[in-house]
This record gives sequence, structure tokens and C-alpha cells, in this order.
Amino acid sequence: MSDPQPMLSLRDFSVSFDTARGPLYAVRNVDIDVADGESLGIVGESGSGKTVLSRGAMGLLPKRAAHRSGTVIYDDHDLSEAPRKELREYWGTGMAMIFQDPMTALNPVRKIGSQLTEGLRIRLQMSKHDAKARGLELLHRVRIPDPDAVMEKYPFQLSGGMRQRVMIAIALACKPRLLFADEPTTALDVTVQAQVMQLLSELRHEMGMSMVIVTHDLGVVAGHTDRIAVMYAGEVVEIAPTKRLFANMQMPYTEALMKSIPRLDTPSGQRLPVISGRLPDPTQPETGCSFASRCPYVTDKCRAEAPPLVEVSPGHSYRCWFPIGGSR
Amino acid sequence: MAGSGKAHLRNNDNVILRVEDLTMEFPVGRKSFVHAVSGISFDIERGETLAIVGESGCGKSTLGKAILQLPKPTSGSVNFQGQELTTLDKDALRDVRPAMQMIFQDPASSLDPRLSVAKIVDEPLKIWDRGDEMWRSNKVDELLNAVGLEPALVRDRRSYEFSGGQCQRISIARSLALEPLLLICDEPVSALDVSVQAQILNLLQDMKERYGLTLIFISHDLAVVKAVSTRIMVMYLGKVCEISAPDELYSRPRHHYTHALVSSVPIPDPNVAARRTTLEGEPPSPMDPPSGCRFRTRCPGATDLCAQEEPQLHEVSAGHYVACHWPRP
Amino acid sequence: MMKAIWEKLRKFSIPTLLSMTWLTIIGLIAIVYPLLSSTDPKFVYENDLGVGPFTNGHLFGTDTNGYDIFRELLHGTRLTLLVAVVAVGVGGAIGSLIGILSGYVRGKIDAVVNIVFSAVLSIPNLVLALALVAVLATAPDVNSTVSNWRKVFVVVLALTIVIIPILGRIARGATLSWSNREFVTAAKSMGAKNSTILWKHIVPNVLPAVMAIAFLAVGVVIVAEGSLSLLGVGIPDGNSWGAVLAAGRNDMEYTPHVMYFPIICIALTVISCNQIGDVIRQSLDKREARI
Repeated sequence: MSDPQPMLSLRDFSVSFDTARGPLYAVRNVDIDVADGESLGIVGESGSGKTVLSRGAMGLLPKRAAHRSGTVIYDDHDLSEAPRKELREYWGTGMAMIFQDPMTALNPVRKIGSQLTEGLRIRLQMSKHDAKARGLELLHRVRIPDPDAVMEKYPFQLSGGMRQRVMIAIALACKPRLLFADEPTTALDVTVQAQVMQLLSELRHEMGMSMVIVTHDLGVVAGHTDRIAVMYAGEVVEIAPTKRLFANMQMPYTEALMKSIPRLDTPSGQRLPVISGRLPDPTQPETGCSFASRCPYVTDKCRAEAPPLVEVSPGHSYRCWFPIGGSR
Repeated sequence: MAGSGKAHLRNNDNVILRVEDLTMEFPVGRKSFVHAVSGISFDIERGETLAIVGESGCGKSTLGKAILQLPKPTSGSVNFQGQELTTLDKDALRDVRPAMQMIFQDPASSLDPRLSVAKIVDEPLKIWDRGDEMWRSNKVDELLNAVGLEPALVRDRRSYEFSGGQCQRISIARSLALEPLLLICDEPVSALDVSVQAQILNLLQDMKERYGLTLIFISHDLAVVKAVSTRIMVMYLGKVCEISAPDELYSRPRHHYTHALVSSVPIPDPNVAARRTTLEGEPPSPMDPPSGCRFRTRCPGATDLCAQEEPQLHEVSAGHYVACHWPRP
Repeated sequence: MMKAIWEKLRKFSIPTLLSMTWLTIIGLIAIVYPLLSSTDPKFVYENDLGVGPFTNGHLFGTDTNGYDIFRELLHGTRLTLLVAVVAVGVGGAIGSLIGILSGYVRGKIDAVVNIVFSAVLSIPNLVLALALVAVLATAPDVNSTVSNWRKVFVVVLALTIVIIPILGRIARGATLSWSNREFVTAAKSMGAKNSTILWKHIVPNVLPAVMAIAFLAVGVVIVAEGSLSLLGVGIPDGNSWGAVLAAGRNDMEYTPHVMYFPIICIALTVISCNQIGDVIRQSLDKREARI
């Protein structure tokens, strides 16, 4: 955005997979910047391409199955064509990721302590003693009570919330400058979700890192991001500073996502607003707007011609012929 | 909190299910027990939707399954339509089963991957030998239509070809096949995208009206149950905290735990979200629950009394019951 | 019809197709050869004692007794495969039955079954088979002999016992995992009987996993049978590949080719079985990943 030298910059970034029914376009021509110290939310339904986008940006997708195009520039280094060996240099210290399900992301047969200090010893070549001290400090930092005991435990002995904290500690071990959080709270209880989001926000400020939070729930990222990008069918359909997005959303899809969130302030016993229909088939790109088949305001023009990404105000862009704020 | 008591039980002909002092303990090792559910009592009137809300590990899923005697509870009584289920033998219990059905959280795990959708929905009909082949096939189509699936398109496909939301629709169709009176929904939407949650919640509402169901809706998310429930029971560590009608509960939570749950619901507004209070820490182990009120270790209003004496459920306003020594104003 | 089969086959890799071809060929030989061949496999070519391969019409040569190796191997295919298929089939069926029931019932019965399986598995296959054969096929009177059919039966029985815990454990593990799925709880809540749940839900999901390992087990049995023959307690008189191999052992330094060919046959069959087993396992994994 305004920052002249973004930490991560994706230009015309696309990812497709080969399937039996032809190429599947998971991410299509996405331009996104993440500024130094910024927190960006990427919001969309399952199948919108949000997870593929974040993994693709980090270079975590299998090279053989996934075809990437466009450029990925991290901190002035062009990683678009970088071989895995070079990418590995950036993983951990530059970019790190936490996942939705901390149970499967952690090795079930190894103690928390050894999984936590592994990265430190390999990447930062710390001695066993130093790595342990740093590990304890990290567990302390993610607000885990009694870190000494937790170091000696196995993943299954911890609750979901504690496991996610451990995952965060592992991701932070090498002090990354950019943290990707892929659905970090989806598998957790509401009360624990709130704790984990709070923790992520605090850590971001303490450590001065940038963060990308990938989620299907606009409500989760509302209070914890500077900007939000809404993805639909592989495209960014609206991107804006968080407060502006909530105050002045333009794209009907964003509005529909927003309305579908169950809220405490709607009276009970009412029908909830839904987005009817389903995501379009990603192997058959539409000619018009990808949201046309589900949009309540659809016109013939929407079906015939895909809307371009237009900017309404600095940093606020959307794809729609008939935006909500505009004249309809 | 986390108290016992039966002040909230009603005594009228509309009560379809009455659970009293239900306790469920699982042995761990040789001497210790997990106290999953500890002396819970509640009742449901015909046509009600009772939401059971609490964090994972509070025993809400165990409670749901214990009502169905899967497995039988350690002690306590489950009275369904005047029939005591805990003392029924295997065959008598089997005869009651069609009237009580259940929907599970994980849509993928609750459907057999080897069976076609038609076979899955047909399964309960076949178990009970309802009608002939033709009648069952029509019934399956009718059920699939009812849950918003196109029978011709889905009948012969397998569950893994469907999204989570669609799997949940198939589950619902199957659970309705035997025309149950009571449907227990165990976290039916927590594995789904927000945008799909609303579809399933609406569908459950529709099915409730169409088939005259009574629902028990188990969830960890107060916001989700808000729209569907007529009564909410908040659970913590195997005990009841608070029971009330939803609007009253949300606007004026009297139990400290309910208040914490209400305030941890994410609000989709960047200006509000920043000043939320969250609950600190994690629930204690159900193997060794705290004395007195089980919530006292995390409660902002706890006193010595809370450690010594277990609070009993008492009425604080019409139809609103709280188990707390020091309820919030 | 042919086209449909061709389309199906095209999806497999070359090694898989070669494995299928090899198994089909030896399968056909096992069934058809003894019916067609009027020649005694023990016919002695007195003029061609111990000649090498491709000599005087002896494709694989002869051994020092003058037996044609090619013909012996064709003849031995039947018993080799019979032993393997029966041992794996019967052992797999018994093992699956025990494994599925004990995994479904759980509790004390399961604990006992698990300990027994583990105990048996801790004995090396060959040692176990050897011990069983030694016990079962020994004549009570030193001077009486044990009939050949009894020897074959004992070998099959010993190998079956070896297979039971291998496949039983797989079945038990798969049952433990599948019976935890919620569709089983759902079926119970609908009022399904245990027998219905086992038959409709558990068995169809567990069997493919057992099948994949069963193919690997066929390889194990063929090797074990050959090893027993080498140790002199297997199928007698060159009636299986292992027996041909064992017979050639004595003249290893003069006619090594007698040993090459049975070894090649055994190796190809074991590799093919492993390949097919892998393909089944991979297709299961793919399906599991989608669930």
C-alpha cells in the first residue's frame, strides 16, 4: 500500500493445479502487498483460494503439482523462481506459518521441548543449553503457564488452545519478520479463539513483525488486522483498510459474508441471511463476474463481462460493476 | 457455579425429556475417574430447542450421548416420554431409538465413505424394515429434497465427493428418516465455514417446523445458538451454570462464566472488537475438579464461600436460573 | 467390453502392468499346465545330465539327475501358489475374523488377543514355521515315514499359523480406528444391531486394508516355503519352486543354473505381489485423504 518498500509483494500471482478435469485455477492474478509491521487479513470461504495463496507466497506448494506464475518479492529478493533450497533460507527466519490444526502439525511422538528447540539448534546453531533457555522464554512469551512442565509433555497431553500456543512459539522461534496464520482459531473454542487472537496481536506488536491471517470468518479478523483482502473464486474481490471496509463495503460478496456471521445482537428465532448457491467450478472460469451466479444484485452485464479491480479511495479497491455504495 | 439443583425443572404434560442427576464418569487407570458430567438435571418441552453451551471438555457432548444411552450413564435418570431409559434392557431400548436421533460434528466421520448417499439415508429405514423397496426409495428422495439436495444428482455419489455443508445435509436427511421426536445436534456447524453455518442453521429450523421436532443443540458458540434456541443451558466442567431464554441470557448474563462466554463472541466490527474482555486460563482437569463452585478458579467474583459450598440453581427472574453465590447484577 | 478393460488398464503404471501380467501367467500355468501336460516332470533325460540352459531343447537346462528344470518349474507352480493362496486365504480369514471381533468388542478379550498376536509376531516367521513343521510332521515311530500329502498339509498349516497374527493385527487396528467413527455411533443410535454394524460398516472398510497387506503376505509365504524346502522340511521331491531350489542346492558348484531359475521365479512373484499390494494401499490412502 502506501509503504514504498513492502515486505512481501505479490504481482499477478496465479496458482493452478492439474486435475483429471483439466487445470484448476485456485488463485488468479492476485496483487497483494504486506507492509513492514502490518497485519493483513485474507478472508474467504473454503475453496476461495486463500490457503493456496498463502502457501504459494511462502513457496510451500509442491512444485510438481502446482503451477505458479507471477512474481513474489520478499524483502527485495525475487522468490518467484527460487529453488526450494534458497527458499529454505527464508523459512523460519524470514517467513513462518502456523496452521489450523495444531494436532496434526505437531509430531505426536516427540516432546514439546524437542520440537520447539529443533529449529533453534539447526537454524541458529544454538547449543542445547541455549536452545532450551530460549524455548522456555518462547513458551513464556506465548503465555503458557508452567513452561518447564510443558517442555516435557507430548502434544496429546495439551488442550487445543495450548497446542496452538506451542505452534505459535515454534513459528516464532527464529524471530520471523512475517507470520502467516492459516485459520489459526477455527479448530478452537470461542473463548480460546479470543485468547489466541489477542495473543497474536500482542506478539505482533512486541516483536514488530508483519502478519497475514487467513480465515473464513470476518468477525475473527475485525479487531486484529490493519487491512483485509476478501477472496472469492481465486481472486481478490475487495481489499481495504479494515475500518474502511467495515464502514463502507462495496462488493456484494463482502456484504453477504458479513451478514452471514451469527451475531449476538440479532433477535433470536429469526432466519439467518445466507449466501445461496455455491462457489463456481474452479476448472471452468466464468466469463463474467465470478460472483454473478450468487449475487442478489446481478445484471446481464455482470454475467457477460468480468469487472476489473477499481480503486475508490486510497488502498480500497473492489471488483464490481454495481458497488453497494455507488449508484445502482 | 457449576452447581446442582432442580429448581428449574418443570412439571407439565408437555415435558418430553426429563434428565435428573445425570452423572457420567469414565475410569482412568486404576483409581481415578474423569468426571465428565456431574449431576445434571434439565427438561425439555415438546417443540422447544434447548441449546447446551460450553467449552470443549465441559461434558456437553458426553451429556448428549448419555441421553441416548451411548453409553449408559453412570447414575441418574433419563425419562423420555414417561419411559425410564437407564433401566431398559437392550431390546426395549432399541425400540425407543427411532424416536431419538443425533447429528454429529464431523460431517466426514459421520457418514460411511463406502456407501452411496441413497444407501446412507436408507440405512435407518432398512434397519427397521420400513415399507418396501419402492416406498423406501421414494422416502429417500423426499428426505433429500427436504434438506435441499437434488436426489437425482446425489443419490449414487459417495460422501467424500461433497463439501462439509452438504455432508451435514445428508446427515440431517438420515436423522429424519425415522421421523424422530427428539433430535440431538452435537456441534452441527462448528466444522463449517461461517457462510455455510447459516444455511445449516436455517435448514434445522425448517426441519423442526416441518417435522415437529424437539431439538437439543450442543455448541461452544453462543452466537450460533442464539438464532435457533428457545432456551439455553450453559455448562462448565460437568455442571450447569445458568438456564434461561436466549434474549434474557444475552442481554443480562447473571453467571460470571456466561458473561465471559458472551463477551468472547467475535464481533464483526473493528471498533468494538478491540475492547473485549476475554476469559483467562483454561478449565481445570475434569479428573480433579475444584471444590465448591467448579468455576471459582477462573471466576473474577470468587470468594471463600465459593470454595466451600457448591451453589445451587435458583431462580433470579422468571424462567432464569443461575447457580452462583454472587450472581452478576 | 475390451475397450473398457483397456481404459481401466491404462491407468496403471508399467511396473504394475508387468506385475499383473506375471501373476496372470503363473496363475494360468498353475491351473492349466497339469491338465495339458502328459509328460512326467520326473522324466529322466539320460543323455543330458546336468546340461546348461538352451541346450538340446532344454530351455532352462537339466540338473544332475537329468530332470528338465523348465518342466519342473511349470509343474511346481501349482503347489507353490496353492500353498501361498491357501495359507494367506485361510490365515487371512481367521486372522481378520479374530482381529475384527476383538477390535470391535474391545475390553479384556481384545487385550488378550493383542498380547497373543504380539507374542506370536515376536517369533521370526521362519523359526515359527520350522518349529511347527518339526512338531507336526514328525513320525512317532523312527522307522515309519511321513506321507508326502501330510508333509504338504503341514507346511500349509504352519504357514497359515504364521499369517494369522500378521493379517489379524492389521484387521484389529483398522477396526479400532473405524469403529471410532461417528457413523458407527450414528448406526447405534438408529437401533442397528452389532451384527449389522459389523457387517455393513466395519467389514467393508477394514477388508481393503487387509487385502493390501495380504498381497505382501503372499510374498512372505512363498519365500518361507522356499526356505523350509532349503532346510529340508518343505514340500518334497521338487514339487514346488522351493523344492526345485532345494534339490539343486547339492550340486551348486556343477549346475548353478538349477538354482537361478527357481530363485528368479520366486523373486518375480514376490516383487509382483508387493507391487500390487502397494497399488491397493495407495488407492486406499488416496481415498482416506479425501475423507
